[in-house]
Amino acid sequence: MKRNALFISLIVLLAMTTLLPASLVYADGHCEFADETITIGGLAPLSAPGAVAGGVAMDWAFNQAADDINADCGVEIDGVNYQIDVVTGDSEGSPERGQAVTERLIQEDEVDAMVGVYHSAVGLATMGMLEANQIPTVFSEPWNDNVSANGIREFDGAPPRFEDGIDHIFRISPASSMVGSVVVDWLLSLGVDDVVLIVENTDYGQPAAADEAARFEAAGATVSKIDVELGTEDFVPILSRIQARAEAPDVIRILVTGETSFNLTQQMSELGIAPTEDTICVTNQFAFQSDQYWATVPDGNYCAFNRVGIIPSLFSDAAVELNAKYEEAWGDIIPSFAMASYDAVYILADAMERAGSSSDAAAIVGAIEATDLELSQGRYYFDYGAHNPDLPEDTPAFMWHQWPDPIVTVMQYYEQGQSGLEAAVVYPEVYQTHGTSYIVPGTSP
Amino acid sequence: MVIQDTLFVLWLLAAGPIWAAIGMFLLPLVNKGNADKDQIPTTTLKIAGVISGFALGPLGVGLFYFEPALIRRTTLTAGIVLTVFVSSQVLVRVIDPELPSGLWLILAGPLWAALAAYFLPRQYRAVEANDQNVLTAAALGGFAIGPLIFGLMWQRTPKISRDWMIVLGSLGAWQIYTLFAIHNPANPCVASPFHVTYLTQQTANGIVIGAIYSLMAVGLTLIYSVQGIVSFAHGQLYMVGGYFSFYFLMHSSNVLSELTGAEISINPIFGIPVAAVIVFVMGAVFERFFLKPMHEGLIERVSEYAILITFGFGFFIEYTTLAIAGPFPQRTDRFIEIRRFTLQRAQITDDFAFGPINIIGDRAFAMVVGVILIFALLYFLQRTWTGRALRATSQDRQAAAVTGINPTNMNTLSFGLGSMLAAMSGAALIPIFAWVPWVGAEMVGRSYVIVVLGGLGSVPGALLGGIIVGIVEALGAGCHPDPSRGAAYKEAFALVIFALVLLLKPTGLFGREQT
Amino acid sequence: MAFFKRFESTIDNGIGRRRFGYIVLGLIILFFLWFPNDSSQSNYAKTVFISGFFYAIMASSWALLAGIAGQFSFGHMAFMGIGAYVAGLIARDGIIFAMLGIAISPESISAIGAIIIGTLIAGLVGLVIGWLLLRLRSAYLALFTIAFSELFRIMMLTEYDYTGGSNGLSLRPLLQIADVDAARQVEYYLMFGLLIVCLLVMHWVANSPIGLFLRAMREDEDAASALGVNVVRYKILIFVFTSMIVGLAGAVFYSDVGSERIIPEQLEVLQMSLIIAYAVIGGMESLVGAAAGAFISRYLLEATREVVIALPFGLTMSDGSGAFVWETGAWRYALFGVIMVFTLRYMRNGLLHPIITWFSGRDLVMQETVSKRKSDDDYDDLLEAGDE
Repeated sequence: MKRNALFISLIVLLAMTTLLPASLVYADGHCEFADETITIGGLAPLSAPGAVAGGVAMDWAFNQAADDINADCGVEIDGVNYQIDVVTGDSEGSPERGQAVTERLIQEDEVDAMVGVYHSAVGLATMGMLEANQIPTVFSEPWNDNVSANGIREFDGAPPRFEDGIDHIFRISPASSMVGSVVVDWLLSLGVDDVVLIVENTDYGQPAAADEAARFEAAGATVSKIDVELGTEDFVPILSRIQARAEAPDVIRILVTGETSFNLTQQMSELGIAPTEDTICVTNQFAFQSDQYWATVPDGNYCAFNRVGIIPSLFSDAAVELNAKYEEAWGDIIPSFAMASYDAVYILADAMERAGSSSDAAAIVGAIEATDLELSQGRYYFDYGAHNPDLPEDTPAFMWHQWPDPIVTVMQYYEQGQSGLEAAVVYPEVYQTHGTSYIVPGTSP
Repeated sequence: MVIQDTLFVLWLLAAGPIWAAIGMFLLPLVNKGNADKDQIPTTTLKIAGVISGFALGPLGVGLFYFEPALIRRTTLTAGIVLTVFVSSQVLVRVIDPELPSGLWLILAGPLWAALAAYFLPRQYRAVEANDQNVLTAAALGGFAIGPLIFGLMWQRTPKISRDWMIVLGSLGAWQIYTLFAIHNPANPCVASPFHVTYLTQQTANGIVIGAIYSLMAVGLTLIYSVQGIVSFAHGQLYMVGGYFSFYFLMHSSNVLSELTGAEISINPIFGIPVAAVIVFVMGAVFERFFLKPMHEGLIERVSEYAILITFGFGFFIEYTTLAIAGPFPQRTDRFIEIRRFTLQRAQITDDFAFGPINIIGDRAFAMVVGVILIFALLYFLQRTWTGRALRATSQDRQAAAVTGINPTNMNTLSFGLGSMLAAMSGAALIPIFAWVPWVGAEMVGRSYVIVVLGGLGSVPGALLGGIIVGIVEALGAGCHPDPSRGAAYKEAFALVIFALVLLLKPTGLFGREQT
Repeated sequence: MAFFKRFESTIDNGIGRRRFGYIVLGLIILFFLWFPNDSSQSNYAKTVFISGFFYAIMASSWALLAGIAGQFSFGHMAFMGIGAYVAGLIARDGIIFAMLGIAISPESISAIGAIIIGTLIAGLVGLVIGWLLLRLRSAYLALFTIAFSELFRIMMLTEYDYTGGSNGLSLRPLLQIADVDAARQVEYYLMFGLLIVCLLVMHWVANSPIGLFLRAMREDEDAASALGVNVVRYKILIFVFTSMIVGLAGAVFYSDVGSERIIPEQLEVLQMSLIIAYAVIGGMESLVGAAAGAFISRYLLEATREVVIALPFGLTMSDGSGAFVWETGAWRYALFGVIMVFTLRYMRNGLLHPIITWFSGRDLVMQETVSKRKSDDDYDDLLEAGDE
């Protein structure tokens, strides 16, 4: 081979290797910062096969929170102001990558605390490592019941892992049982007894469907469950099957995420299956992002959906401001997990200030347990932890280090192209905005 | 049912092992009679005896006894059959403790199909009859009428016409349906009185979506017929076609709205030609830079190069689109304001009604667009000089070059046209499906099935193949006994066709025979 | 330059260069052997290397199949998955011979036994698919394996009662070491050893008579079969062989060596395309080149997540920082695609090829003895394929 080629390839390789990341340099006006910064590790899916759209929103929220805290002179410990720096690792939605990246964040970036994650499987896979390295962690989006559960000895059939219980992990997203119960209670209060669940076959869909099905069946309703593969585009044959039933089902509940959920909802309404007078259409939190929803589900008027997080009419100033920033960056309403991710960084910063240390894990955990903080999603506090270790008999284990108040509501669109912020809240009754628990298609509240 | 089960278990317990033992003792005797021929090792014979006896009973043992030369090749076949048999048995035990007798009946079809497909073509070759299509007919026949196919085709070795295949194929399909009906009486595909409506509905679903699928597959097959390569960037070109349409519609309606001061939305039909032109140019430029050197002899081992270079091109398009458009789903306005066309319910007799049947409006429109475009392409290929030149190039390059056609330009044209068809189907589907940068992956897998089924290189084959794949997917998802699996395996049904076509007739329905 | 010239002149003959090449190779191996003993390296660095070794096995075995034997498969990840899933299921449920009424309990199957069975089953599936497809033109193999791996992924996702669905399937851990640091050390050497063994075996196969037949077939199938080479049999053989290699690699890697569970997302087409890109960039016709390509490409993909360019002349960005920071996101994959396409077009044998050739001294031999084969032959092959 010619020597030219040899040189070219060497140079290309060298040039590519030198494009290494360097650290950011901040120059700031009004605050005096210490030289060291507090590093918080973030974990979110930033590339496929993970849910990229969710991951980038979380990453945005972490960094926005850090920027806002720094603009407010950072974290003050012993009279010294420290800047916060969030280093987000890409979990790619895979437990294996999540573990490796967490290890990197702990060992190489030497993070003082962690926030994250989007996929429950990643959360479950990283819990052991976070626990072993004593990293105070606030999870803001995984829903699996076993995340943060106290002293969990076993999950999904795997051998015991955590002998001493979970001490360092907190969660401010709801456990999936908490979400399921609200939707099911609402539907049962409407008197449904024939339910079709359309479920994605993932670690989000299956446990959620099992939980809801059990609740429906306990109340005497018939449930038929249909699994679908994420990425399916054409649902018409599957929906025709539902349409061919002698009696239309009372409700079709969609536990599918992302664009697959939008395709399904749209085809369902185009075929006239739901929402109709006979059949209630219940989709999920993804419908709240109304720009995306109406762009891809133009016929989805009168669909109800569950939403996690504070209802729009009760948005605090902080929440309104955050939503405005998000809309500017992404052109859509802020999803609740971005709000929660934003809050998670604040909770950690607040706990470090109160603990008077950014590295003493025990002190920080103690401070998080004692959190009492009003943020974009509402007032944060934790009922059960080292400060109150005895869970009552009837309280599920996931309440350990769990924020008990993530508001779960059922909302419903009643006008074509309506903003998610204006959709009616129909359940629970305390939050009802239009005085009705269901808007029948074709009517207006 | 009870008797069948008992018999089956008895057969399992007794017949297999007994014949295996007989085979083990009988087969080594073969060597004694053939002193002059090559001796086969006794161990091989014993193993062959056990396996053939166990799997096929007297048939296997007898066959090997009289035709020991067959052992090596048959062992392979028998091994596969046995694997299928054992694995399904294991599955049955795992899934359901009660052994369904229907499984055995279902299994008998493939077994006879395999036997017939193996032996009948040999017989044809032995008597030097024309053995084209015999493999397909034998397999279909074995499946449909079991051992009777041997009687029909063995001695007289009749000529196999298309009618034969149709009769046997429909017989097989009828059997599947019957068996299915016996075992799933409550299934919507068989449960009276709705099943006629339901089957019509699902078939209609399949035809509508299938015709849309074919448009994309036609592009693939066109490129193959002229250049002899499969474009692995096809799914990404389809995806990017949708995005071009989307951005064109968004920006042009914004501009128009600003100019006129009124809210104007442009019908997505206008996005189709825009996407077509842009992607035609993309495809043609790519061809000029990366595929043309291949035809000029600058590249070694062109078929591998072609697969990889188009694959890399697709990879590049997908991630560039992701970087620009982001991962959020998009969609354009609808083609027509009619949500769905409904054929109303008609009461034919007192207890038999037909309907209602629903077709989503936009899909019907996209189907019409797709079919018109395919016929326009056929017209172009058959009636215009350039089209004829393309066909001539695909049939014989040298001869075409002699008559003054420039094959290099034809290559570029074919790749551009093929890419354009993918982009047009993308632009025709973005009003129907939520669009994300990885939307091409699922669609292109289906296109591969369609072109192989229709015959690589055949445009009418792609049209028919698309419709068949659409129907199979719809019926598979609609009729699978377990709705969950039916829905989750929707794509997989097409893959079963893929495997069958490769096994039985790799040239597909309209493909040119492989030499 | 002067130094380089003098240096080159002293060793610029085939033998000298090759010796030098062996020294460099030896040094690289020594570096990998020494690496985990460097106490300044974190466990994370070892984890990255372990998965680097795994992808190096995947890429080099794909190079053997596609580059040397000329068989294009997109099913490599699926075979890896078969190895891992079968090993996991066997270790959990045991083996059931329903017809014989024999069930072997999972307890009696060790982790190694499960890995062996997984490897064998991967080979068996490879045999069936190879027997079905390798008689046909190469496009069919590519088309079918893409479909097959998708089907396999959907099955693993849908049959979640057996496979754990998207939560993945845990395999029986191959090693039982309580101490995390010590375990990582052993896992590192285990995976590195597996890579070296696989490379040696594949190198041996590629240079054995079988390898020669395969190359002959790749160049001209008709001529090879006219010379009496049973084309289909050798194709099937190499297909089964590489399927077993990746099945083994998958089963070992997911037995808590590199990862604690296998998930269906790992089998997506994207993962397969990355492996193909690694092999293409590293060099499809060289096993070591492909392995190194996987290693380097993975490193670069990771390193270019964020590109930071310090601004000269004291310029600052609008946010006041002195550096331009570009979050590359999907762009780095797009760039990867561009590199792949241009590598294919202009450096067909990979970016590392010139280096490897220089060390092997093969170019000197080639200049003297072998005149470049006319590529027109190949073009004619294509025409015939199109004309059939």
